[in-house]
Amino acid sequence: MAEEKNSKQRHHRSMLLDSMYPVVALMLVLVACVELCDAATVVDVYRLIQYDISGAPFGSRFSSLNHHAASLSFQHGADLSRSVLILPLRELDIAFVQDYISQKQSLGGLLILLPQTFRPGYIGGGETQDGLRVLLAQLEKLLLHSNIPFPVYFAFENEETDAMLADVKKNDALGQQATATTGGYKLVISVSEPRKIASPTITNIQGWLPGSRADGDSNQLPTIAVVASYDTFGAAPALSVGSDSNGSGVVALLEVARLFSTLYSNPKTRGRYNLLFALTSGGPYNYEGTQKWLKSLDQRMRESIDYAICLNSVGSWDNELLVHVSKPPENAYIKQIFEGFSNVAEDLGFQVSLKHKKINISNSRVAWEHEQFSRLRVTAATVSELLTPPELLESAGSLSDTRQHVNEDSIIKGVKLVAESLARHIYGHQGKDIQIFADNSSLAVNRFYVKSWLDSLSQTPRVAPFLSKNEPLIMALKKELEDYTAEVSIQQESLDGIFTFYDSTKASLNIYQVASVTFDLLLLLVLGSYLIMLFSFLVITTRGLDDLISIFRRPPSRKMKIA
Amino acid sequence: MTLFHFFNCAILTFGPHAVYYSATPLSEYDTLGTSVKAAVVYLATALVKLVCLATFLQVSETEVFDPYQEALKAMIGFIDVAGLYFALAQLTHRNISQNHKFQAVGLGWAFADSVLHRLAPLWVGARGLEFTWDYVLQGLEANANLVFTISLAALGSLMWLRKNKPKTLIPIIYTCAVIIATMPSITSYLRRVMGWHFPKVVGFELMTSLVMAFISCQLFILCQRPSL
Repeated sequence: MAEEKNSKQRHHRSMLLDSMYPVVALMLVLVACVELCDAATVVDVYRLIQYDISGAPFGSRFSSLNHHAASLSFQHGADLSRSVLILPLRELDIAFVQDYISQKQSLGGLLILLPQTFRPGYIGGGETQDGLRVLLAQLEKLLLHSNIPFPVYFAFENEETDAMLADVKKNDALGQQATATTGGYKLVISVSEPRKIASPTITNIQGWLPGSRADGDSNQLPTIAVVASYDTFGAAPALSVGSDSNGSGVVALLEVARLFSTLYSNPKTRGRYNLLFALTSGGPYNYEGTQKWLKSLDQRMRESIDYAICLNSVGSWDNELLVHVSKPPENAYIKQIFEGFSNVAEDLGFQVSLKHKKINISNSRVAWEHEQFSRLRVTAATVSELLTPPELLESAGSLSDTRQHVNEDSIIKGVKLVAESLARHIYGHQGKDIQIFADNSSLAVNRFYVKSWLDSLSQTPRVAPFLSKNEPLIMALKKELEDYTAEVSIQQESLDGIFTFYDSTKASLNIYQVASVTFDLLLLLVLGSYLIMLFSFLVITTRGLDDLISIFRRPPSRKMKIA
Repeated sequence: MTLFHFFNCAILTFGPHAVYYSATPLSEYDTLGTSVKAAVVYLATALVKLVCLATFLQVSETEVFDPYQEALKAMIGFIDVAGLYFALAQLTHRNISQNHKFQAVGLGWAFADSVLHRLAPLWVGARGLEFTWDYVLQGLEANANLVFTISLAALGSLMWLRKNKPKTLIPIIYTCAVIIATMPSITSYLRRVMGWHFPKVVGFELMTSLVMAFISCQLFILCQRPSL
């Protein structure tokens, strides 16, 4: 009998527990949903690029961060392997960073604070000193070519980070690191580990503007190509806007396309040359996109190309523009092209110089875009302000390449140079003193067009592996070329071989002000003693008070229980 | 600050109630039932107050002290007093002395107030990594509130449950009760018009609560003197 009762009781109890489970589960879910994301400050941060060249790792290999903040004023010999070092650019010491990286000292993380003037889309005064730009360029070079085993992030200074840094410095100088109640800051970036980007695509956009064929002429018209590569590469891919390299080239190409489309729209002024405009990708990676695009062209089309003009960085020059070639200057075609340029330049009031650099077939490095044409026996030249060819992965849109240092006037001069010389060649007016695209005419170079495209490109990061197939930028460029040319086609290839990229380029940094465990313990001690004091006080007073009251009253009607 | 800080603030906010219950003779006379009933009455009062506030009050965007709104809030605050009256006078309690009844009712009332107003912010906020003094100050405020509520309950019991009081003391009793009942308005006035920060306001509350407790204690004793 007792057993039955017991089992029944147990049954009831288990049923009760069973019914409790969903309630408990719901409570747990509710509790977990109330996530602890109430940081005092949240800052946008941009990660250093992570990439491999033929398997050799470069860049920052980690992305998530959960450490205390430290500044440069830390005591010597302090262990920073569980701290994030905050370095404002203004106080950066390149040698220090270099030491840290080369000696492989362990660091929890690195946060580099850049002045607001380097932010893409920054409108406002304040010329950045050249010293800072040079320092930034050096830092980028160092970081890009090192294998860094901790997360490196870039952020822009604002009031909150300034306040935090001042606090951290003060505490570090005093030798306390996050032990005082309001001295410690914890920086948390919670993102998943970076993954390889499976098959990065490069997208080439070409626009074809056919010339007019004379009646009865069945030969293929010659073609002139104008090419610019539009993608960038920099230390922080989410900030690589490359205003000069090669935003200026893209803008110049679009403006030239617009001018010629106006000319070619009227059959009477259509020239006897076809025009081919190409916006290529894969520029920083030895102009891989250009190579693939050329190989994809029909053989006849390729052979019909008279010559190609490549535009690379035409945004910040004053008096001299350079024309780089790989064929020797004595070559007839080169002479012709260069004479055309120098005549126009003379008229416009600046100088062009010819620079010759031989192609080294055994070296896989492609220094200029025109070399890809030359390797396929197409005459080509690059118009650029750069004196020497950039190294691999350099001058392709670094952090210091911002809108402020690009001059629309330089681009406009470049556009005039290219457009005029092309037009004189097409219409056979070489050497004549004519200005086809004169100012204040209907064919004048449109300053507002140049400015608006330049502004827009200076706010769009364009690192090729991180651009999706239907990226708005690519669609916009395609649409623009569609407006100006007859036929537009897009070619999408995958980026070859030796480069591998990893994702996770942008994150949110949470800055928490934390108190140490000793503070908690102290508080617990204080509260414990407070409660004990309260208890004893109440016992004394109330039992005493009762006694006190009973004195003023007649003998109490009930007996007090003795504790 | 994680769970440790939450635990600290929780014992600061709710500890004194438990200590009060166990330290005073309340625990000996097992007055838990009274406290629970008082807590339930508080819940009902809070609901009624919410409905009234929602109906009659306009929400202003800025933190401007509007005398009319504040007067309205103070009047709605008197619903609190009505609820306390109900808990003290109308509910039937087990046969416990006057002395213990007001304490039990005050305790239950203050505990319900703390739980309703302070538990949720504590749970959501104090467990985060970010450290602020807010929750410690909130706990101190809960303590002050406990003292206020017990004083108010004492004065309430004097007003409604004790039939013969010395005539001279009656106005004092009523003024003290009014002061305590309008404490929320006073603190909001201080915060908005005078621009006092939270720590200062909490300090003021603590001091006033001690002063009020002392006064009401004296009044209570004085009213005990005429023999029943």
